[in-house]
Amino acid sequence: MVVIAIPSASSGGLSDKMDARFGRCQSFTFVTINKDQIKEVKTVPNPAKDEMGGAGILASQTVYNEGANEVIVGFLGPNAINSLKSLNMKVFQAPNNNLPIREVVDMHMNGKLSIIDAANVGRHHGGRGGGGGYGRGGL
Amino acid sequence: MSILKPKIICVTGGKGGTGKTLVAVNLATIFKNHGKKVLLIDGDVENPNTYLLLGAKLKSLANVEFFIPKINNEKCSMCGLCAENCLSHALLKVKDIPPIPMLNLCSGCKLCYKICPDNAIEKDSKIIGTLYESEKNEIKLMLGELKPSEARSAVIVKSLMQHLDRIIKNPNVMPDVVIIDTAPGAHCDVEELIQKADIVIPVTEPTRFGLLDLTRIIELITLLNKEYRAIVNRASLPGYKEEFSLELKRRDIEILGEIPLSQEVVESYCQGTPLMEDPSGIYTSSDAYHAFNQIYDNLLKWSDIQK
Repeated sequence: MVVIAIPSASSGGLSDKMDARFGRCQSFTFVTINKDQIKEVKTVPNPAKDEMGGAGILASQTVYNEGANEVIVGFLGPNAINSLKSLNMKVFQAPNNNLPIREVVDMHMNGKLSIIDAANVGRHHGGRGGGGGYGRGGL
Repeated sequence: MSILKPKIICVTGGKGGTGKTLVAVNLATIFKNHGKKVLLIDGDVENPNTYLLLGAKLKSLANVEFFIPKINNEKCSMCGLCAENCLSHALLKVKDIPPIPMLNLCSGCKLCYKICPDNAIEKDSKIIGTLYESEKNEIKLMLGELKPSEARSAVIVKSLMQHLDRIIKNPNVMPDVVIIDTAPGAHCDVEELIQKADIVIPVTEPTRFGLLDLTRIIELITLLNKEYRAIVNRASLPGYKEEFSLELKRRDIEILGEIPLSQEVVESYCQGTPLMEDPSGIYTSSDAYHAFNQIYDNLLKWSDIQK
């Protein structure tokens, strides 16, 4: 049995679309699959979506704590991949960024998604501008 | 009892490539030629290169360390308090697993270390840079270097200034004059160094970029309530000089001196020997040599440095 978390563009669910962003998606859809059958679908709002920084880490905590062991992503930043790897989660790449979630899950069940193990965008990719700033400040 | 304190001069300038290092190194050389004990500090910790212009070799002085949290998994009760309160989200905390530090996000604030009810967070550290010292032609040099890819340059600058404080307090090694060469820009590393100075010399050039960045650095110097006078380097650059001079006048920016664009400056720069060191006496009759001496005279008149 696997539980897959998929970043979702609005309130989540199989008929929602994927959100291209992981750390700053609106919500996560959790799909439980057993013997190639969808057993359960639940949605959880993403508490990290408006964070200034570290959204990838907070979002990783959420998907882990809600029971996922696999994640399907569009864009994925360096903090997110590091967090997901630290938690031993499998990460799969969706072929494009606004597919319906049902379609992505089908592709995954048919073994059509490949595993990724490195970030495919830079930090603060999905933010609303500003935010970043690894500056000279601090201490 | 009178408290002796060296005169601290900060050479800065806003714009990159205006000649801050050129001025800092040559001023240091002139002071030394007049029998002063000089300490030159390169405060551009992201690209310290003053030593090259001085022709000096570096000797490591101290590593600069930065706090990182180390989790003692046996003590950790997995309460999650550290991760909940970490503003940088540098602690990955999921159920049933002790927090995992995400070190590239850690600001080094030590909050987790202080609030952990189980004392399960231990102080660890990583080296983010190094301080170096050197000496060439009786000029002492000190510089800090941030490791490439590290973010906290302010920590290196602070450490450099703590070393300066120690030197200033020790009468056996106390210099007469300290010259601080800053990074370009008007950011907090530059601010920290200006803050330390008695007087500030922004170096600029007669271009539109030079004027814009000069006004920015002067804004910072003024905020810090420091006295300043500008040096115009490459003063003979054609095209904008007249307008530039008028703009300085209009803004009441006082000039300490001008350095002409000259073959001799470029040559000494490329050779890595300060123009004013001039061991074989080939530059003494050049305009640039006179210009630096004029700047020195003006500097003595302006500041209360004894001849």
